[in-house]
Amino acid sequence: MPITKRFVPLLLLFICCCQFAFSQNKFTISGIVTDSGTGETLIGASVKLTGSTTIGAGTNAYGFYSLSATEGIYELSISFIGYKTVKQSITISRNVRQNFVLSEDNQLNEVVISAEKKNDNVSSPQMGLQRINIREINNVPVLLGERDVLKTLQLLPGIKSAGEGNSGFYVRGGSTDQNLILLDEAPVYNASHLLGFFSTFNSDAIKDVSVYKGGMPAQYGGRLASVLDIKMNDGNRKDYTAEGGIGLISSRLKVEGPIVKDKGSFMISARRTYLDAFLALSPDSSINGNTLYFYDVNAKANYQLNEKNTLYLSGYFGRDKLGISEAFGFNWGNATFTLRWNHLYSDRLFSNTSLIYSNYNYVIQNFMEDNDFQVNSSIKDFNLKQDFEYSLSSSHSLKFGVNAIHHTIAPGKLTASESSSVNATTYENRKGLELAAYLSDEWAVNEKMNLAYGLRLSGFSLLGPGNFKTYDADGNTTSTTSYKAGEVVENYFNLEPRISASYQLTPSSSLKIAYTRNIQNIHLMSNSTSTSPTDLYIMNSNNVKPEIADQIAAGYFRNFSDNNYEFSAELYYKWMQNQIEYRSGTDLRGNGNVEADLLFGDGRAYGIELFLKKRFGKFNGWIGYTWSRTQRQFDAINDGKWFYAKQDRTHDLSLVGIYKAGSRWTFSSVFVYNTGNAVTYPSGKYQINGRTAFYYTEKNGYRTPAYHRLDLSATLEGKPGRKLQSSWSFGIYNVYNRHNAFSIDFKDNPDDVSTTQVVRTTLFGIIPSVTWNFKF
Amino acid sequence: MKKRDILGVLGVLAVLFVLAGCEKVINLKLDNAAPQLVIYGGLSDKVENHLIMVSKTYDFTDPNRFNSVSGAKVIVRNEEGTTMEYVEVSKGVYQSPKFRGQSGKKYTLDVTYEGKIYTASSTMPVKVPLDSLTFKDFSFFGEKNTYVAANYNDPKDIQNQYRYILTVKGKIEEDAVSEDRFDDGNKAANVIFYDLNDLVRGDTIEVEFQCIDRNVYKYFYSLGQNSGAGGPPVAPANPPSNFNNKALGVFNAYSTSKKTVVIK
Repeated sequence: MPITKRFVPLLLLFICCCQFAFSQNKFTISGIVTDSGTGETLIGASVKLTGSTTIGAGTNAYGFYSLSATEGIYELSISFIGYKTVKQSITISRNVRQNFVLSEDNQLNEVVISAEKKNDNVSSPQMGLQRINIREINNVPVLLGERDVLKTLQLLPGIKSAGEGNSGFYVRGGSTDQNLILLDEAPVYNASHLLGFFSTFNSDAIKDVSVYKGGMPAQYGGRLASVLDIKMNDGNRKDYTAEGGIGLISSRLKVEGPIVKDKGSFMISARRTYLDAFLALSPDSSINGNTLYFYDVNAKANYQLNEKNTLYLSGYFGRDKLGISEAFGFNWGNATFTLRWNHLYSDRLFSNTSLIYSNYNYVIQNFMEDNDFQVNSSIKDFNLKQDFEYSLSSSHSLKFGVNAIHHTIAPGKLTASESSSVNATTYENRKGLELAAYLSDEWAVNEKMNLAYGLRLSGFSLLGPGNFKTYDADGNTTSTTSYKAGEVVENYFNLEPRISASYQLTPSSSLKIAYTRNIQNIHLMSNSTSTSPTDLYIMNSNNVKPEIADQIAAGYFRNFSDNNYEFSAELYYKWMQNQIEYRSGTDLRGNGNVEADLLFGDGRAYGIELFLKKRFGKFNGWIGYTWSRTQRQFDAINDGKWFYAKQDRTHDLSLVGIYKAGSRWTFSSVFVYNTGNAVTYPSGKYQINGRTAFYYTEKNGYRTPAYHRLDLSATLEGKPGRKLQSSWSFGIYNVYNRHNAFSIDFKDNPDDVSTTQVVRTTLFGIIPSVTWNFKF
Repeated sequence: MKKRDILGVLGVLAVLFVLAGCEKVINLKLDNAAPQLVIYGGLSDKVENHLIMVSKTYDFTDPNRFNSVSGAKVIVRNEEGTTMEYVEVSKGVYQSPKFRGQSGKKYTLDVTYEGKIYTASSTMPVKVPLDSLTFKDFSFFGEKNTYVAANYNDPKDIQNQYRYILTVKGKIEEDAVSEDRFDDGNKAANVIFYDLNDLVRGDTIEVEFQCIDRNVYKYFYSLGQNSGAGGPPVAPANPPSNFNNKALGVFNAYSTSKKTVVIK
């Protein structure tokens, strides 16, 4: 892309700008902002110094802030949506270390999506970022009463559901595997339970959710379309508390408390579904012997060693189990562990070191006589990250760091008993190393203009041992080369420039522009129309090149009525290179030569996203609308012509309304409408061996019928002031029982085989739900 | 590995039905594409009259039929250049003189129609005989289903592909393929997933067992994927044909064996 070439020198110039010397006496004020009730650190709280000039910063992912200012008297204000603002006068004549405690403001009824401070959405150079306030998420109605971060995200413009009840999502024309999903910095490879109906994120355990649709800061990398950064709760540092819920299909329990009061805390949160409990009630042995459930556990502990050092240990473990008695077993799940060390080198230099382990695996067991077998497959990451935040001056704050991830992909190990007709086979493991270094600067150029720019250097090495094949255009093997352990098979290096700027037109409106390049070195192979736990991950290789996306975006942001209403319009255009599709008839199961079946091409996506939100008051909510196009071009597909990608949706509308009636009842509703998916339907038929076959012409040339649905929910809070606080949530999913198409199939009419018919399968009609939540 | 997937899909379907899935026949406006030539047929290792069917695609809403194409010139040649002309015996059906194909030989078909030549080649694989048919029962969520399994000995260290054509009471009910990627060199009992629950005494079922080449396997595998066989639904596409010039269909040189069972 020529656009990159032009940006690189520009970027170097900006980096040089940071090197200027400081003439005045600069002091630093720094500290940690926490919640008064729980001691939880607050992420993204706004800290502002007002004197002769105004200097501001937000707390980072660990609640830490650092501001540089010249000697003088200032007014210091610390604010966070949902909390009472703290204001105090402060004289700065030396470096100050000051922590703040904010208390919840129950008068404010901020809705789910919050900007950090009241007009931060306008003044920050960050574009394409949306955050979810977990404390309020239970007001949005969801399928079967299971509140779900990923499904609430799908109600925002530019983020689209991958299907009915599916926790997979598409961001600005990206596919589901182009989202980087981080749970306490650990990548989560399969973010769904029960084949997509539930996400792996138990909202009890989550503190903060940020999603970047574009303009990703340079510290993030590795996926093309988005970054979903999820932070778990640290645990209550003041008191022991327990909370939970009992729902139609699952129950949850969370326990948290101090390890040493005000020094350290722990949190353990777990849930399990019990759909299989209903199966067990059946007297029929072929039904009650079946299993079908998932569970997950989030756990975290932290301990502050001293003012300068804090340790965090967090983990996630989740598993789905599906089994048909004595015939078949299938289970899959993620495990992640993160050990982090926060260290303050000085009041200005904050450091975090993370050691991360992430594992996704699945096991399939077939117990049938004569051909029993078991398949094990896994992807395992070891990840070391070193991040620094440096408050360079009152107008510059730097972030820089390095990251190394070692991937091991075990595509499949097939084992079988002696008497089985299946042969034991092990497919070669693949190892790869991703290295990255980044530097970025957020620069308050003047009162009106903010600039965030950075550069990420990313490298990928595919490592031996193994036999690596190269293929010609038709997928035939042309050569095979053997590599020893640790030998480099292929190297790729990429520069990823990131820049975004905001210009404040008035105190309540701004214009923003951004350019972002993203690289993806690990790719999910799925030729099915929905994601499956057995989808295969592959890495860059001698055949597969890194995926590249260049995105430009421009936006207008405006707040009305004392920041009560928030409006934004964002335009984006994205070019994508080295996108991956398959030859028709590709079999991904136990396929040691999957790269032979891949096709490579380009993609483009563009659209406009409109968002209007009422942020406070008894009635609040938002309207999100997206118009977009997503297309792909492959020489070997659709005669080389551009075709709509399956994630293309022309119109996508979400309406969310929440009404607080009195002190105990909250009513809410969600309406969604979107154009149907781009799909391939037959445009004719013929016969093969006397059986009907269908003739397809244009790839994805048809649309499924439009999708729309209305959900309602009501929450009744228990009487306040009791030791045991409880609430009831009632919900109705798909109120007017719309028969949305989950799939459309074409087949011979079973009653009259001389004709063919079109059959629509609907997954969910109207579904009521009820959940009881408690806390003590 | 086919069994695994079918079981997996059944398991998933069961989940979906628990969650109140429902099916309905609907009307959908589909385009009527310009008719495209379809060639299907081949030759076997038996001394017989081999058939090639030439037809055209037609509109989705039309009644199902064999939309025959007459007046095509159909010629098969072997590696030595010997040619065999197929004669049109009924509309769109072209028949060879009696001969048998030989294992390991490559055959090439030329169909000339309206001045265009459509060519495909297929190599007849080494024959693996079908030993026997056995019945197997499986229970899924309270329902017991009976299936037939094809038993054979897969030869070791050779890549084999098989096709199973199940005829129940005179009607072709299943046309499926498998390969020996997971059971090379073993005694195989491959279940054909068409349930035979409603059979009564006297009903006959027949399984034709073909050994097919790799491209023919890929064609039928892909054809099966379009209708949801072998795993979760994929984005449908025309199966990769071994014909050039965009003809649909497949030319198949195969070895064949057959077993018939009468229900007692």
